[in-house]
Amino acid sequence: MLNDRKASELVTKSLHHSLSDAELKALEKNLSDSKEAESFARLSNKIHDSVVEMATLAETGDETIGPGLTDEAKRRLQASIEGAQRSSVNLPEPGKTLGREGRMNETLDGQLDTAGSWGRQMVAEGSAGYEPVSGLRAGESRFTVIRPLGKGGLGNVWLARDERLKRNVAIKELNKEALQSDKAWQRFRREAEITGMLEHPAIVPLYQYGLDKNTGEPFYVMRFVGKRTLADAIIEHHERIRLEAGDDGGLGLHRLLSAFLDICQAIAYAHSRGVIHRDLKPENVALDNFGQVIVLDWGLAKISEDSELASQLSWDNGGSEPALSQTVDGEVVGTPLYMAPEQASGDLDHVDERTDIYGLGAILFSILTGCAPHEGSGEKEKANIKQVLKAIAEKRSPEPGELARNVPRELEAICVKAMAFKSYMRYEQVARLAEAVELWMAGQSEKKSRYEHLRMEGRELRADLQSSVRDLETNSRFMACLPPIQELITAATEQELAVWRDRLTTIYRGLLTANADFKAVAYCKIEGEICTEIVRVERHSSEFSTIRGVPRSRLRRVKTNAFFKQVMQQKPEEVLTSLVCDAQCGPNDGYFGDEEVHLVAAVPVYDSNTEEPFGAVLIDCDIDRLLRRQMSKHTTASEIVVACDIHHVMIRSQLGHIDEEAVSKSVVDETPYFNRAVESLQEHLEFIDETDAEIYGARIWLIPNEQGLMYLLRAGRGQNQV
Amino acid sequence: MANDPSTAADLEATAIPPEQWIDQYGDYLYRYAYSRLRDGNAAEEVVQETFLAGIRYAHQYAGTGSQRGWLLGILKRKIIDHVRQRNRYERAGSYVDENDPTSQLFDAQGNWKTGAFRWSPQPDDHIREVEFRQVVEGCLEKLPHTQRDVFQKSVMDEKDSEEICKELDITPSNLWVRMHRARLALAKCVESKWLNDKEKTGHAE
Repeated sequence: MLNDRKASELVTKSLHHSLSDAELKALEKNLSDSKEAESFARLSNKIHDSVVEMATLAETGDETIGPGLTDEAKRRLQASIEGAQRSSVNLPEPGKTLGREGRMNETLDGQLDTAGSWGRQMVAEGSAGYEPVSGLRAGESRFTVIRPLGKGGLGNVWLARDERLKRNVAIKELNKEALQSDKAWQRFRREAEITGMLEHPAIVPLYQYGLDKNTGEPFYVMRFVGKRTLADAIIEHHERIRLEAGDDGGLGLHRLLSAFLDICQAIAYAHSRGVIHRDLKPENVALDNFGQVIVLDWGLAKISEDSELASQLSWDNGGSEPALSQTVDGEVVGTPLYMAPEQASGDLDHVDERTDIYGLGAILFSILTGCAPHEGSGEKEKANIKQVLKAIAEKRSPEPGELARNVPRELEAICVKAMAFKSYMRYEQVARLAEAVELWMAGQSEKKSRYEHLRMEGRELRADLQSSVRDLETNSRFMACLPPIQELITAATEQELAVWRDRLTTIYRGLLTANADFKAVAYCKIEGEICTEIVRVERHSSEFSTIRGVPRSRLRRVKTNAFFKQVMQQKPEEVLTSLVCDAQCGPNDGYFGDEEVHLVAAVPVYDSNTEEPFGAVLIDCDIDRLLRRQMSKHTTASEIVVACDIHHVMIRSQLGHIDEEAVSKSVVDETPYFNRAVESLQEHLEFIDETDAEIYGARIWLIPNEQGLMYLLRAGRGQNQV
Repeated sequence: MANDPSTAADLEATAIPPEQWIDQYGDYLYRYAYSRLRDGNAAEEVVQETFLAGIRYAHQYAGTGSQRGWLLGILKRKIIDHVRQRNRYERAGSYVDENDPTSQLFDAQGNWKTGAFRWSPQPDDHIREVEFRQVVEGCLEKLPHTQRDVFQKSVMDEKDSEEICKELDITPSNLWVRMHRARLALAKCVESKWLNDKEKTGHAE
């Protein structure tokens, strides 16, 4: 027979999905029998329709559904929009030229802000440093210079307009100092030739190399790829993580890793042509607005002498390839922040493809941490460059985990391998490095969905225990307000006492029969330091189904411990639920007579005549049995640990098998991989492993911030994991 | 009239610059956000986030649909994020839902208390939909977030229970408990407000 409450639940369900025939029949009967039920059903239906209409009106923009923004709110929003527009760095769109005055300074300022922390070399103090060597190209040539884009050691890069093809291009030219050096001219030409020979979608295409008609100075023209680099994207990603407390971190990382794979492809292609980039860093990777990744700045590239390209390059004035490779202060090429140890030591004989693999590892490092690998080596403070290089050449490379939390462990391992100090310890080929990253990315979605399951399971375990605790509390409250409780206080004769004891014993026996998780229920009188049982019903310790009322001669009379004292301070009907262990109370103060942890709910009993505390009713719940039952359920977790504090494991289940040895041991010692979760659960109710999607933790408090249980779950390992 | 950018046709075709967004789309987005969040400050906040995201990702607007629709898409995402965050925060406090209306409506045996509901408009009673909707809106505002969010996501956004559980990170059983409590509380609130208003109008006449 359906009661009204159940029927009202069916009314709710019927408004969301169709009911079964049986449910429908039962509901119709209930509606016809009860006016209230019919009223509720009709009214709910009407409200439902009204809310659906409200949704439609909101979608269509109907003004009757409520007031719009206040003027004050509009002013606030307008100010915020204007602020956002000012701070956003807008890149010129293809086909749109900007005046030389226009927004130039604003854009440069924005770039300087973000570039600061990267120690970027292509920054300028102001537009003064960008004076073109000659403005005459605008007259007779096809290119009109629009504004400066960047400045390097050798030359400047300009945004220009190709007047014939009506498109924007980037023009690189030698700066004033470099124009004085023959070697610089050779390097410049060599850079243009190498870049021109590398034809790959992720390598900047070169359109033209030439000499200015009027001045004879060299310049080359390449595709304009915007000013946004991977360095900007990395800074944005880490700022977003910091500001939004981890939200969207996964998506941002996925995008950066996709870009990283494109870089790997470009470098693998260059290696196949015998070219080693030697200056890989996020600043040398441009990202356009459509996700295209372009590797720039091949000015320091080294070409294998026996490669096909080497024979195609033109060398003037006797400038040999090895001599050019070793320029830049005679010894060291590359940017210290991302430099491989063999480059830093000037050991150029050992600079090969694996030097680029180190560079790629360094880019991965900055994606994971937001910092360059050698940022801590002192170069930021402009320490003596030799000291910095010495440090890089001699010390072990840093690991991402040392600089940032929440670095996925498997990615960290990939990065560490790519950046191994000894080049023979690194990946042999770029393709192997890319494969490892790809494999990790492929495993992520499967891993995420497995983790969702794990979270759900963890929450259900906690909810299940919460519900058991609530039952325990409700029952103990009920057991403390039964009539025999007060009668046993006032009973004048032994006969009366015996009668009421029998009655209470019968009820308590019924309670244990109905609740398999309850081990014992007792009614105690508490006088000062002494607790005397009046009635006790318990389950046989090994014969589970045997329930017995304890005879008077065997009732306990023990010294009260801290738990009983706390119970007696509670107000009537206030339940104190706690994990109690005799071992914590000292040798003579035990109530349970064993060393196990008991989940106990106790309610104080007040004498209704004097209104003074008289004693307490307590129910001892078999927490071990309860947890074992939870562990026996099907789970996707490879391991579950339940602990009452960091030093006490209550139960540990591995792949469905209970590890009997683990009980009472320390979580931190036995299962150190749970340490982060354990630490977090000291303050939070839940631990979600955003980084590795492997560990889940949930906390339930029995006495807030004092006593509770932790559920720690570890995901099973999937096939795709690295 | 042809120059009025607020006409539907123009909205389809025109992408206006961000500095005009407040005037063109501010009220529309705010009303939408308010209808879902029932909190003026929160609604203003998500509208602001929407505009900022719109500026940041302006390049992603393909121009195929209306700009208003594109911004509404962003707003919907922001509302989901806001509700999810609010739920996460609130759930951290306690596991007991304090707002259970069942004890007011049912007795210990689970039967309706006498007079729990008296709603029985006669066929000739004229219920003005706009007035009724306003009463419902007032009652929606009084519902606790935990109940209102599942109710609105299901009824207004027509999401299925699986999707709602995922968004709010709750179990299906928890969802139905919240939904039922929301229905009961809403019905009780609307009934008493409606009958109250009706009595007042009666006296005035």
